[in-house]
Amino acid sequence: MATLEVKDLHVEVKDDEQNKTQEILKGVNLTMKTGEIHAIMGPNGTGKSTLSQTIMGQPAYHVTQGDILLNGESILKMPVDERARKGLFLGMQYPAEIQGVTNAEFLRAAMNSRRADDDQISVMAFLKELDKNLELLDMSESMTERYLNEGFSGGEKKRNEILQLLMIKPTFALLDEIDSGLDIDALKVVSKGVNSMRGDNFGSLIITHYQRLLNYIVPDVVHVMMGGRIVKTGKADLAKTLEKEGYAGLRDELGLDVELVDEN
Amino acid sequence: MEAVQDYTALKSELAAAANDHGEPKWVVDQRLAAVDNLADAALPEVNRFDIHRWPLTPAEPLTFSQSNGDLAANVPVAADHIQIVQVGQTTVTVNLPAELADQGVILTDIFTAFREHPDLTQPHFMTEIIKTNEDRLTSFHAAFLNSGIFLYVPKGVVIDQPIELHLVQDSTQEKHPLISHVLIVAEADSHFAVMQHLTTQGDCANLASCMVEVLARSNSEVHFSSFDELGPNTTTYLNRRANISRDATVDWAIGLMNDGDTFGDFDSELIGENSKSDAKVITLTGGRQRVGVNTRVTNRGKKSTGNILQRGVIMEKSKLIFNGIGHIIHGAAGANAEQENRVLMMSSKAHGDANPILLIDENDVLAGHAASVGQVDAKQMYYLMSRGITKAQAKRLVIRGFLSAVLQAIPAKDVRQNLTDTIERKLENGAEIE
Ligand SMILES: Nc1ncnc2c1ncn2[C@@H]1O[C@H](COP(=O)(O)OP(=O)(O)OP(=O)(O)O)[C@@H](O)[C@H]1O
Ligand SMILES: [Mg+2]
Repeated sequence: MATLEVKDLHVEVKDDEQNKTQEILKGVNLTMKTGEIHAIMGPNGTGKSTLSQTIMGQPAYHVTQGDILLNGESILKMPVDERARKGLFLGMQYPAEIQGVTNAEFLRAAMNSRRADDDQISVMAFLKELDKNLELLDMSESMTERYLNEGFSGGEKKRNEILQLLMIKPTFALLDEIDSGLDIDALKVVSKGVNSMRGDNFGSLIITHYQRLLNYIVPDVVHVMMGGRIVKTGKADLAKTLEKEGYAGLRDELGLDVELVDEN
Repeated sequence: MEAVQDYTALKSELAAAANDHGEPKWVVDQRLAAVDNLADAALPEVNRFDIHRWPLTPAEPLTFSQSNGDLAANVPVAADHIQIVQVGQTTVTVNLPAELADQGVILTDIFTAFREHPDLTQPHFMTEIIKTNEDRLTSFHAAFLNSGIFLYVPKGVVIDQPIELHLVQDSTQEKHPLISHVLIVAEADSHFAVMQHLTTQGDCANLASCMVEVLARSNSEVHFSSFDELGPNTTTYLNRRANISRDATVDWAIGLMNDGDTFGDFDSELIGENSKSDAKVITLTGGRQRVGVNTRVTNRGKKSTGNILQRGVIMEKSKLIFNGIGHIIHGAAGANAEQENRVLMMSSKAHGDANPILLIDENDVLAGHAASVGQVDAKQMYYLMSRGITKAQAKRLVIRGFLSAVLQAIPAKDVRQNLTDTIERKLENGAEIE
């Protein structure tokens, strides 16, 4: 069993345009184990993406206090690629586009990066795995010969993030709004992909705004994040309560002093 | 660099050498006229790039000599390829399938062509595409020409296989400039691809003055790609130009991978109505190398379309200037001209510039340009690394992607692979200077 622990995490980000630093995460605590699916919900601008990016090691986010431990070992000093090879994966809200590098070539490089030089995946084994996952995600083979995310529609990009997840098979997957912009069929397909990973050797943290996704990927734990902290943790039904009552209701119930973007 | 020259003596020496070489009178006369012009011709203009002190017109007499055919050992010669292989001034191999020869296709060394096909060469050789008297470099080239290839594709002939032009510069000998000229005549409705490969054997410091002239007659289609990998001690002058007639297309895909100083002048003259050209140039510079490129498209014909795409990666203390020159002549109504020039800096000690130069003398046109000099995109790097790919490999992938435009346009898989390998090797050799 693997664990991912976030302890009293404080994170700042520097806004280059305004040249000022702003604290986004203000003491996040979270523990995940493989075998579990966690969901995080929370209002816009509350720090959900910041949390996932910080765990992955995006250099724009500065940890000022607290720690992130993977199997008890701090990963704060590790560069992004090392964290990935240790088993972390981030399905991004806005994946980058890279011209001239095919999806297939990229996937192979990613898989090989965590294998020894004398144990690189064979073309046959790679294609077999690729075909299997393309079928599972109802993706056409031609997507793999296209340049990485270039000209992909919003939904295609999301599917492609899940394809990477299935090929790379990380220990912990942070999935940031993989459901946004998906039509109903695509939502089911993407959920099927994530569910196929479920098991004792896989854990996931799913960031979403919609309870609907959690009907397809039923979480073990639901966290609510507000004002840069996790303010409430519960079971799958917490998402349903939220859907009904909204964040303002929860905030008032908890007596929090947090401003929500959509108020006034 | 060059001593004050006694032009009378030079001319009689030159005429003697050319006559001994068995050249027709018109060729010798053209050489002598070029010498006359050399006396007061200026160097060509290269915006923001100085070639004045380069050894581009060395004062070596015209000589003809055999080179060792073994220097072409690395050239993949195959009977089922269409190819011509030259080492210096020596033609080592010509493979032209009999059925193409029967259709009138000519692939031969240029001096043979001057003798045997004056009707096809004299009207075109440095008269209407690149002109002898344009500047000091063209005059020098015409005067001291010592190697070359003639390719003729008759009307309506379509050739599926690429035609390979392999040229090995012989720098095992001192004072041995390579002055090579490729003349390509594509008759109406012909259709073919040409791949040029330039390499150097030997370490002597020599000039390579390599020209390509393409005459693309109406409705012909010529895809030209080059893989230039001349050696570190070679100073290179490249001039490749096409005159493109009505409904004809000439595409350029130039992989400029020379290790030495290089000045490149690539030019599409869109003369006929509805003529088209797509010019793509990629380069990767390192060490203290200096590379200056003028890529020009001139729209003369109505509804002509010309695109320029230039991408360069600069490392260490090298210098790269990309000038993209788009000229739309008055009367070229409905013309279309787009260009993009980008330089990726891998070192703060390197210097790069991407200059779009637009000269538009017609109102009814579509023209656009983009230019940038920047660093590897941090978002792309993060994305690749977040999948476990190391920083070094991520960089290589992003750069290879950045340079992929030309790779895709090369018609042979093995050449694509060789160019990719050369790019990777250059990236690995380029010491990192942040
Ligand atoms: N790189 C950055 N530069 C400047 N500000 C940032 C940066 N990243 C995040 N922020 C700011 O931090 C706050 C939290 O952003 P974050 O993207 O983490 O929110 P979120 O909870 O994911 O919101 P959403 O639900 O809208 O995706 C916002 O105010 C945002 O503007
Ligand atoms: Mg977000």
